[in-house]
Amino acid sequence: MKLSSHTIVLEAVLAVLCVILALAAPGFFTAENLLNVLRNISMQGIIALGMTMVIIAGEIDLSVGSAVAFAGCWMAWLTGHLDAVLSPVPAVLLAMIVTIGTGFVPGWITGILRTRYGVPSFITTLALLTGLAGIAELLTDGFPLTPFPEWYGSLGGGYLAGIPVPAIMFVATFAVILVLMDHTVFGRSVYAVGGNAEAARLSGIPVARIKTAVLALTSALAAVAGILQSSEIMSGTATTAKGWELDIIAAVIIGGTSLTGGAGTVRGTMVGIVFLGVIINGMTLLNVNEYWQHVVRGGLILTAVLLNRMQKHAHANGATA
Amino acid sequence: MTTLELRQVARTYPGTVALKDFSVSWTGGNIHALIGRNGAGKSTLVRILTGAIPPTSGTVLLNGTEIRFRSPADAGRAGIAAVYQELSLLPDLSIAENIHLGRLPRRQGALSHFVDWNEASRRTEELFARLHLSLNPSTKVGTLPVAQQQLVEIAKAMSAEPDILLLDEPTSALSFAEAEAVFALLRTLAARGVLILYITHRLGELRQLAGTITALRDGVCGGSFPAADVTPAQMVSMMFGEDVKLTRMLGHEPGTRTVLQVRGLSRPPAFENVSFEVHEGEVLGIAGLLGSGRTELLRAIAGADVPQRGDVTVNGAVCHPADPSVMKRAGVAMAPESRKEHGLVTGLSVRANLCLADLARLTERGLVSPGREDAMVATAIRECGIGVPDQHMPVSALSGGNQQKVVLGKWLATGPHVLLLDEPTRGIDLAARAQIAQTIGTLSARGLATVVVSSELEELLLLCHRILVMRRGRIVGALDGATTTLEELLAQCMEPT
Ligand SMILES: Nc1ncnc2c1ncn2[C@@H]1O[C@H](COP(=O)(O)OP(=O)(O)OP(=O)(O)O)[C@@H](O)[C@H]1O
Ligand SMILES: [Mg+2]
Repeated sequence: MKLSSHTIVLEAVLAVLCVILALAAPGFFTAENLLNVLRNISMQGIIALGMTMVIIAGEIDLSVGSAVAFAGCWMAWLTGHLDAVLSPVPAVLLAMIVTIGTGFVPGWITGILRTRYGVPSFITTLALLTGLAGIAELLTDGFPLTPFPEWYGSLGGGYLAGIPVPAIMFVATFAVILVLMDHTVFGRSVYAVGGNAEAARLSGIPVARIKTAVLALTSALAAVAGILQSSEIMSGTATTAKGWELDIIAAVIIGGTSLTGGAGTVRGTMVGIVFLGVIINGMTLLNVNEYWQHVVRGGLILTAVLLNRMQKHAHANGATA
Repeated sequence: MTTLELRQVARTYPGTVALKDFSVSWTGGNIHALIGRNGAGKSTLVRILTGAIPPTSGTVLLNGTEIRFRSPADAGRAGIAAVYQELSLLPDLSIAENIHLGRLPRRQGALSHFVDWNEASRRTEELFARLHLSLNPSTKVGTLPVAQQQLVEIAKAMSAEPDILLLDEPTSALSFAEAEAVFALLRTLAARGVLILYITHRLGELRQLAGTITALRDGVCGGSFPAADVTPAQMVSMMFGEDVKLTRMLGHEPGTRTVLQVRGLSRPPAFENVSFEVHEGEVLGIAGLLGSGRTELLRAIAGADVPQRGDVTVNGAVCHPADPSVMKRAGVAMAPESRKEHGLVTGLSVRANLCLADLARLTERGLVSPGREDAMVATAIRECGIGVPDQHMPVSALSGGNQQKVVLGKWLATGPHVLLLDEPTRGIDLAARAQIAQTIGTLSARGLATVVVSSELEELLLLCHRILVMRRGRIVGALDGATTTLEELLAQCMEPT
């Protein structure tokens, strides 16, 4: 995939923004703060990378926020129950394996309903958004579950060689998905499926399998983020990660991915998510009140999409004219 | 009388000069043909005249005054309407509704928010009477055959009573017999003083239809003459600057081994109980009118649709044609009829589209290898003569004919045993047809079994060893490609009366 000019423009704007913040906001340009930004964006970022694939494939997943909450509660519930029969380390590990292993199920269901019965992913994941949150509530009975041993907290809150663990996982996921989307048959197929599903099917591409796979993968990534999140707050809490889906979709869109499918880049999403993280961090450092932060974020989404449209328009009309 | 004059009109795109310096002058009451190779700039010219894009330089004069359109609505007000190859009708609406879309007549007084359907029908009937068309305004457009939909499309363009009607390959989806109805309508319009600009790649139809013939070559005018003075050979050299001839390329006889066997294949109501064999190295044509079930048959063989009964055998192995990926693995490739819906992912680049059907073979250690991609893209661009300055361009920026070549190239690259081609040369210029005919000839000499569906009977006679004739979903005859005449084949395709 050739780099779109949108990503390059966005990267330039991001660089300028960082310079301004470095000058204007005391404490922005310190290693500690930058690592903090990185940690803050990494859980949503991990999911946003999957969401990019889903949107490029012409689908959407509105349930990721609830999937994070559900995974955290499921993890806590399992740990609590396994604790009774196992010692802490195997209990946590087993719970983790089961949580990630079952994490793909919501996305897989969405994919099956979409490809076998034609139910739009918008509808299924809207249902899952409520449904999963409900299950999380049922598991926790409305109160945070806190069965985790002390060391569990280092997963979401700890450092490895001075870098936050979630950030390492985010960057690793980025690398894997970047290669997956740009250099494998699977990734190429995702673009084709989202661009024109029928042409892709006639080209011998297994459209149903591709769509189901990206949905399931994103769901599983949400479960991973859910585990990290539960480690950070040391509990399974049903009310956590509310509204994440919108932040995540916003980052993907800011990164230049088209909601109509078929176009977008993983790298763009990376820039989009960093952009959002930096803006929020900068505004917090500058003591901008939280309500204004929401307004600015909204404006940012619109501006980015407008920018993207205007570039496309100029291109279609022949920039040399 | 209407006159349209273009003076040194130019239009450039990044990396491409679509029109360089085009000057011509046309008058009303006549059908003016515009011909030129793929990518010559014909559609670009139409887009300029309809206000869809501005020219980079040059002037357009309508009745002696310079015009500058900022939008298609401007052009509409100035009396210019256009009809394209791709139909823009809404299939679920009635003819009357389609024709008056966006400006349906309203009822009087307090009910002025409501549509006056009687008035809409009346106006449509009036329009049809003027155009000598006999269609029922309340018929749903989707139920009409494509040829009649094309007539509705022209009627719709004419309902605004334009002085100038531009037609960009309006008949390329029709067979000759069906195009005749469109020609009759155009003659009626020309007789009433309308200036008609008619773009086509079927040079055969022009001698009886057009008043003048203008060629576009490399963005400039390659000559403009009264049609009566131009021979088909001259038209070709006006377009290409050299002689190009379509000749029979099949120098070999088919082998004896059966590669594709179709037994009792049925998918009612499209086609029923179809059986035939294609041998190694054979090119088999399927002729028939629109709606005779040819496309549906090819789709079922390729696994795009599931047949109700019957089976398909490739190289001796029975395939359950469940889906296209199974058939692709068995060595079956199908270039579908409609390139926008089924052939291309228009948002992706030329390169990505060419590689789409063959990704698995382009990988090395799990990753798609750019080197292998380069090689395959270069071969496809050369073998199919795709006119594209940069393979990373989105395929939607290519001219219609060049897009069609991408569809063919993508499938030829997969190295299939069985190649199914549905209207492969639709919208393709003569030179490219000759090239594709040669490619098919070469590949079949090496053993490829090919099935070609085409509405252009001359082409089937040139391309094929054997031609099956389909009528109403059944195979009703088989003819020899080398000895049959055009008249015999045409007679076979028509319903016996
Ligand atoms: N949006 C665009 N961006 C870049 N190049 C373009 C764009 N649109 C058209 N072109 C180029 O302009 C040239 C003329 O295209 P045009 O569609 O006018 O050809 P045409 O004569 O209609 O050909 P055909 O017979 O194949 O329909 C082509 O080389 C085409 O690739
Ligand atoms: Mg064209």
